[in-house]
Amino acid sequence: MASVLDLRRRIRSVKNTRQITKAMKMVSAAKLRRAQEAALQARPYAQMITSVLESLQRRADIYDHNTGEALHPLLVQREEKNVLVVVVAGDKGFAGAFNSNIVRAASTFVRERETRGQNVDVEPVGRKAKDAFRRLYPRAVYERKTEKYDNDLSEHHEIIRHRAHKVELTGEHELMLARLDFNTVHAMVRDIVARFERAEIDSVYVVFNEFKSVIAQRVVVEKLLPIAKLGAPEITAAEEMSVEQKEAAGHAALSAGVSTLEPEETSIEREAKKFGTADVDYIFDQSPARIFKHLMPKYIETQILHAMLESAAAEHAARMTAMDNATSNAGDMIDALSLTMNRARQAAITKELIEIVSGAAAL
Amino acid sequence: MAETTHNTGLLSVRLVTPQRVVVDTTAEAVELPSMSGYLETLYGASPLLAELGAGEVRLHGGASGNEKFFVAWGFAEVLPERVTILAEQAMRPSEINVEQAKADLLQGEKDWANAGDEAQAYDDANAEIRVAEEKIASAEGKVAH
Repeated sequence: MASVLDLRRRIRSVKNTRQITKAMKMVSAAKLRRAQEAALQARPYAQMITSVLESLQRRADIYDHNTGEALHPLLVQREEKNVLVVVVAGDKGFAGAFNSNIVRAASTFVRERETRGQNVDVEPVGRKAKDAFRRLYPRAVYERKTEKYDNDLSEHHEIIRHRAHKVELTGEHELMLARLDFNTVHAMVRDIVARFERAEIDSVYVVFNEFKSVIAQRVVVEKLLPIAKLGAPEITAAEEMSVEQKEAAGHAALSAGVSTLEPEETSIEREAKKFGTADVDYIFDQSPARIFKHLMPKYIETQILHAMLESAAAEHAARMTAMDNATSNAGDMIDALSLTMNRARQAAITKELIEIVSGAAAL
Repeated sequence: MAETTHNTGLLSVRLVTPQRVVVDTTAEAVELPSMSGYLETLYGASPLLAELGAGEVRLHGGASGNEKFFVAWGFAEVLPERVTILAEQAMRPSEINVEQAKADLLQGEKDWANAGDEAQAYDDANAEIRVAEEKIASAEGKVAH
């Protein structure tokens, strides 16, 4: 049996751990509030882009009248031979099953597509996703080919993809979630849209943790491209929270003073839905077709930004819950250790008493 | 500014970026940097949809008190009583990092020189140069229009 001194040391150490986990929980709660606010702030823009595109759809010819083919490259439906999946996970650990849930959902997706005979490109966002997939799949190989023509006066560049494996990594993005900058999202989406337009990939999916509130979250696989219907993201798979997870998250949120309610729609959001949809004949400074063409990539950008903002909030919520669990586990451990320590101390006293008594009896 | 006799009311003006609502106020007149040149709208203007380039959004009168914002790449809806501006970038001239903009301008010129025969590279470089130039002009209070 451990001595009283050992037990006292262990209790002290667990108490220190509890202090740390408690502090981490409070820090995560503060970061969660900020992330929720950021997600809320981003809603009007996304809503406005969607509304105006929906409205333009009716005014611009986006489908060929005779053949019914989509005229915008992002609407073109091709047979899915090459699929890109963007996996949005966190940059840091200590967040319970947050990262592993996302990686698992993404792996299931990749395996399922592989069995259908499709090639899959994986693009991880966040260090945890990157680490998980880098070990499994090789990097994609690109070649930039330059052709000269007109007696070498002009050049033509072409990017050629050499696909050697069924599943390859096409890019990594880490540390972009903590301080989400629209420019980095913009660059990433431009690259993805370019690949889709030159038919290197036939569809794009994003795996992320959807976050409505602390107790309303799920890991989803959402189809981004080609766009089937504006403003209605196509969810192809979703994993809901279990009752225990909801309870744990609810307890953590309550003790950290974070609301478990979904934020209400603001007046700006309500008005955002009407953006560009007034029942009047607009004067178009540029042709509706041109405006539509330029707004489409922005729509994809807002979708990706939305996924990242929600994922960032979900990560903080997961860390808050995990640290709340750790704090209460540390409390239980301290109780158990204190009991053992008291028993050990009592045993020592009893032993000494017995020795005195039996010593006296022997005289 | 146009004659005030037509100004029967105030326009409600909203400037929104992908990350937040930058300003939500009222103004008597709004100038917008459309792709095809500056536009000025007053209360009661015909509904209009326009793509924005890089330049300054200027608000005159109303609660805004003559505010200016640098914006780049966006989209605006003008309704008789409301102007809504979506912009990828939006900031007050005082928030512009001029040193950074000058560095971007040099980089843009370098990209332009190296663009070769790629139309896309030229467009990108031109866009970069335009944003940088407009930023510098806006920060120094010298936007031409």
